[in-house]
Amino acid sequence: MVKIQALKIGDKNHVCEEEVYAALFDTHSKTIFNYIYYKFGNEEKAYDVVQEAFIKLWENCSKVSPDKAKSYVYTVSNNLYLNVIKAEKVRLKHRQEALNLEYETPEFVMEQREFKDKLEKALQNLPENQRTTFLLNRIDGKKYVEIAELEGVSVKAIEKRIHLALKSLREQIDGI
Amino acid sequence: MQENYLAKWLNNELTEDELAIFKKSKEYETYRKIVEASDSLAGPDFDMANAQKRLDNKRQQKKGKVIALNPLKRYLRIAAAIALIFGASFFYYTNTLDETVTTQFAERANIILPDASKVLLNADSQVTYSEKSWNHKRNITLKGEAFFKVSKGERFTVTTDGGTVTVLGTQFNVENRKGFFEVSCYEGLVSVQFGQNEKKLPAGQALMVVDGQLRTFETIRRNKPSWLTGESNFKSIPLKFVLDEFQRIFNIEVSTKNLDLSQLFTGSFSNTDKELALQSISVPTGMKFKLKGNKVLFYAEEP
Repeated sequence: MVKIQALKIGDKNHVCEEEVYAALFDTHSKTIFNYIYYKFGNEEKAYDVVQEAFIKLWENCSKVSPDKAKSYVYTVSNNLYLNVIKAEKVRLKHRQEALNLEYETPEFVMEQREFKDKLEKALQNLPENQRTTFLLNRIDGKKYVEIAELEGVSVKAIEKRIHLALKSLREQIDGI
Repeated sequence: MQENYLAKWLNNELTEDELAIFKKSKEYETYRKIVEASDSLAGPDFDMANAQKRLDNKRQQKKGKVIALNPLKRYLRIAAAIALIFGASFFYYTNTLDETVTTQFAERANIILPDASKVLLNADSQVTYSEKSWNHKRNITLKGEAFFKVSKGERFTVTTDGGTVTVLGTQFNVENRKGFFEVSCYEGLVSVQFGQNEKKLPAGQALMVVDGQLRTFETIRRNKPSWLTGESNFKSIPLKFVLDEFQRIFNIEVSTKNLDLSQLFTGSFSNTDKELALQSISVPTGMKFKLKGNKVLFYAEEP
């Protein structure tokens, strides 16, 4: 129940500082959560990974500088359940459309729904790393550089994955 | 087309020519639709407040590290029995022991006690308390300097060589160095005992005993001690205590030559900027200093 932190004098901007730590959590927890979810389709595990990654950060707060903290939690998250979890079905939600559906013809709306169903099925069939990369880019708006950092690979490898993901999605949807 | 052109297209990195060619291809329409449809997808709902709460709970419980057991399963039972005996006795032993937290030069510590009272320990200081009996006896022994934020509850006592401070729930700072005892009250009311005397100290007041003499009562204008905001502050304090504090904060060995260490010093010095701190001490007192590695010499120039 007793928490003791050692601090270095003069280190105001230190991960052990409650405010710095809380800010890091605010900024990065959602990305990590989504990242793990896209990989394994398991929300419970995604929560666990977020928690464990930040516990690790806390335990090592005196050794990790604030500018390294992001890549630290990314790396920890990546290593945590690497081969342990069995992937489940990734379920995605549809954002409420801003456009007025009533102006569209029923056929058009139908077609759109069908297309989305096809897309989801195709996403399900993508290899884990292509799906994760594609969704981080499309849903979370992450730049290739940042995904590369998360996955611990080069930007070029991320571009390859995006390229292959798009190619494979199109082939599945067009029924080739 | 360049390599990974689909990724380049998604990132708006295709040249105009390439884009024109790509748009003419029969696959383009499906690609466009995929991107459009995927943009309306959303990830799972992330309950950040809940995640934060779970994390805080976990951080509270977390004390030891988990070590993976080795796969020699048949030894596990024996190992578990032995571990249980050792664990139980260790648990009993540590539980009856007092907790001690010590800081070295240039270090500080943040301690949260079982009742959520907070202690901020300054450099070269030590507190000792019993975790087990904390809930019915809030006694803490202090050597050095600390700021206390006491949760409401039973009597809270800080014992030092220089005197004893008793409160019910408040914020106060205690500094007890060799020959120097100071208590500043920032909130509530504290009762200070030193020698045969007892003084009640309301918020905004401080008392100081230097070499056995009760010296001053001064009002505090700030709402927390200056060392918490990265500054050491002095008002008519003998120079030797100022230099001792400098040594504690920066972990730099201080020596002096031709100086009157009992002259009084009023001012403050930065706890983060060594050069600035040296200037702040030496300029008003008219002394010179030489800084060499981890040592500093303060001296007065011969007249």
